[in-house]
Amino acid sequence: MEDVIKVEHLSKSYGNLKAVDDFSFSVKRGKVFGLLGANGAGKSTTIECVLGTQKADSGVVSILGMNPTIHRRELFEQVGVQFQETNYQENIKVGELCEVTASLYRNPEDCNKLLKRFGISDKANVLVKELSGGEKQRLFIVLALIPSPKVVFLDELTTGLDARARRDVWQILAKLKADGITILLTSHFMEEVETLCDEICILKKGKPVFYGTVSEAVNQSPHNKFEDAYLWFTDEEVVNNEIL
Amino acid sequence: MRSYKKILKTELKLSLRGMDMLIFAVIMPIVVLVVLGIIYGNRPAFEGAGYTFIQRSFGGLASIAICAGGVMGLPLVVSDYRSKRILKRFKVTPISPVTILLVEVTIYFLYALTSLVTLFAVARIFFGFKMQGSILQFILGWLLVMVSMFSIGMMVGGIAKNSKDAGIIASILYFPMVIFSGATLPYEVMPTTMQSVVDILPLTQGIKILKSATLNLPMERVLLPIIVMTAIAVICSLVAIKFFKWE
Repeated sequence: MEDVIKVEHLSKSYGNLKAVDDFSFSVKRGKVFGLLGANGAGKSTTIECVLGTQKADSGVVSILGMNPTIHRRELFEQVGVQFQETNYQENIKVGELCEVTASLYRNPEDCNKLLKRFGISDKANVLVKELSGGEKQRLFIVLALIPSPKVVFLDELTTGLDARARRDVWQILAKLKADGITILLTSHFMEEVETLCDEICILKKGKPVFYGTVSEAVNQSPHNKFEDAYLWFTDEEVVNNEIL
Repeated sequence: MRSYKKILKTELKLSLRGMDMLIFAVIMPIVVLVVLGIIYGNRPAFEGAGYTFIQRSFGGLASIAICAGGVMGLPLVVSDYRSKRILKRFKVTPISPVTILLVEVTIYFLYALTSLVTLFAVARIFFGFKMQGSILQFILGWLLVMVSMFSIGMMVGGIAKNSKDAGIIASILYFPMVIFSGATLPYEVMPTTMQSVVDILPLTQGIKILKSATLNLPMERVLLPIIVMTAIAVICSLVAIKFFKWE
């Protein structure tokens, strides 16, 4: 199966701090890839370097066979992105934000259909800032899906949501996966990662300390639960290095 | 082009929803015009002057909207959209974030144009205003003042660290200029010493060009202001382009 996202030897420093250090990974078509790690481990920097919003110091990135900096226009017709803190004008309404987003693409999806599909079509005339947390996240998924993307990047999509809303988002993501969309996500919820991700990578101080499936992570650790395994990987640096 | 139109339509709605530019750029100049008109009526600007007080004030009044949009509206919206990461979001779409900056420039241009048209209409209908000089010269001067003020705004918005800094710098630029450059308070009523102080404000120079065009005074006399405004436009644009922070 072809690699939809392919990253080789990515490095990025801010001054003396190595935010991402020689990181390579790839995601195959239709798979969900989870990027894990504590805050500051380099997840967002990785996503930004992959998308080209940050310039990597070194490394090669390709998405759908294209370089995100050189083929920006062409590539982002087919890529949906949701950044960690999403970004909308103070007094903009749901419908307006969707329409403006749709106008950026050559063949956008029908916004109303998407809003309907995600159960927020009655909110089109509501200000985005007045939506509840769960409604907002669903809107951000809608925005990421407007280009009818082949790949979506979701940075901490469910942070700040209550358990119910989080489950709803999982269902949505599972459906996207079933539709054949490739997903790269970051998350702090291990249950979410277990449910959704085909492959994961755990980052620590910009370096991958584990790369594989959830069950492999559990097997490589002395624990039975994934959450414990995750904590073990992120805490025990010395032991990890021996394993890798 | 389709994206530009759609974004323009939405941003215009958002701007009007905010009301502040409507007040500062369109309503305020009219209020000042009416107040000056009520106080000075159609009287000559001074004894023996070949033009009325209102004619002399028109250029200044027409620059209020340019000043409000250029050094208040633009820096605030640019820094706000950067700190909200709206500019960054555009970077992961097929459309360049420059598009939304062009949209904002268009919006403030439209405010300035609306203000110019309404000022002209009110001055003409209620105070018998007539443009003595060439309308073409006036429009060219008006555009030069706009490019110059907008480039200041784009520079401030583009390089200010955050919205708070942009707001402070915008206030430092806007309030002295709107009060002391002759846009509202007539330049000619100021004592000579004060005039030479306020001459350092870019808008004071810009208004001299507009005044000269309105009153059909010899344009050679405003050669220096024209050079100053052009230089400001060039320098600030270059600084804005070179040092613009997208996030």
